[in-house]
Amino acid sequence: MDVVLALSAVLFGIGVFGFLARRNILLMLVSVEIMLNAVNLSLVGFSQHHGDSRGQVLALFVIAVAAAEAGVGLGLIIALNRNKPGAHVADLIQLKG
Amino acid sequence: MSFLTAQAAFYYLASVSVASALLAVTRKNPIHSMLWVLALFLHVAGIFLLLRAEFLAAVQVIVYAGAILVFYLFVLMLLDLPAETAGPRFGRHWPLAAAAGLGFAALGGLAHIETPDAAPAPEDLGSLADVGTKLFGPFALPFEIASLVLLAAIVGAVVLAKRRAVES
Repeated sequence: MDVVLALSAVLFGIGVFGFLARRNILLMLVSVEIMLNAVNLSLVGFSQHHGDSRGQVLALFVIAVAAAEAGVGLGLIIALNRNKPGAHVADLIQLKG
Repeated sequence: MSFLTAQAAFYYLASVSVASALLAVTRKNPIHSMLWVLALFLHVAGIFLLLRAEFLAAVQVIVYAGAILVFYLFVLMLLDLPAETAGPRFGRHWPLAAAAGLGFAALGGLAHIETPDAAPAPEDLGSLADVGTKLFGPFALPFEIASLVLLAAIVGAVVLAKRRAVES
């Protein structure tokens, strides 16, 4: 169980690094997915540790929210890309495209 | 599966997960990054299986690896970013980002659970029947709210995608 939590923390750290360091907005979003996956991992680990499947149900909800986030985020990226080609966050400094 | 086999499988899956996550955030070509994330998701699904979350492992493969990641890849190829591999892949502040990431990863060293197993796990933990009963029993209201969240995401995506067509 401790190993699962440690793995989850390491994956979360990699996700944080990817989100902060990458300049490509798509890869930033994917780093968020890595972080969500790390959290799912610890939820499932707790669920197994306590012999209670509620943690797994919670992980299912996390997956549903991740799907919604991916949909809206990628919609935003496509809308942004129509105004300003490229995916660098440094270029996206105006609220009005 | 014997205990030792399960242990070996877990350490294999865990090390490959960490390696592919690292490769995913450091590759220059975004497509390669996405494919490494795909490898990560598949191996995490394997860990779910070892942790007796069969249904969640299936959902992970179908929804995460199958739908969400393909969606990302689709948008990535649609945007067509030829200049992407030319510029630097990290911002100038990447050492700070690495410090933040290492800080979170170091929390893994503190991961330790004092409490013993609360109860012997039921035989059908994580089975479809078990998760389904929970989902439509005590979690019925959150389940409905999840459908509302997804509906809001669908409407939001359509509005964002159609905005320019309405203006012109």
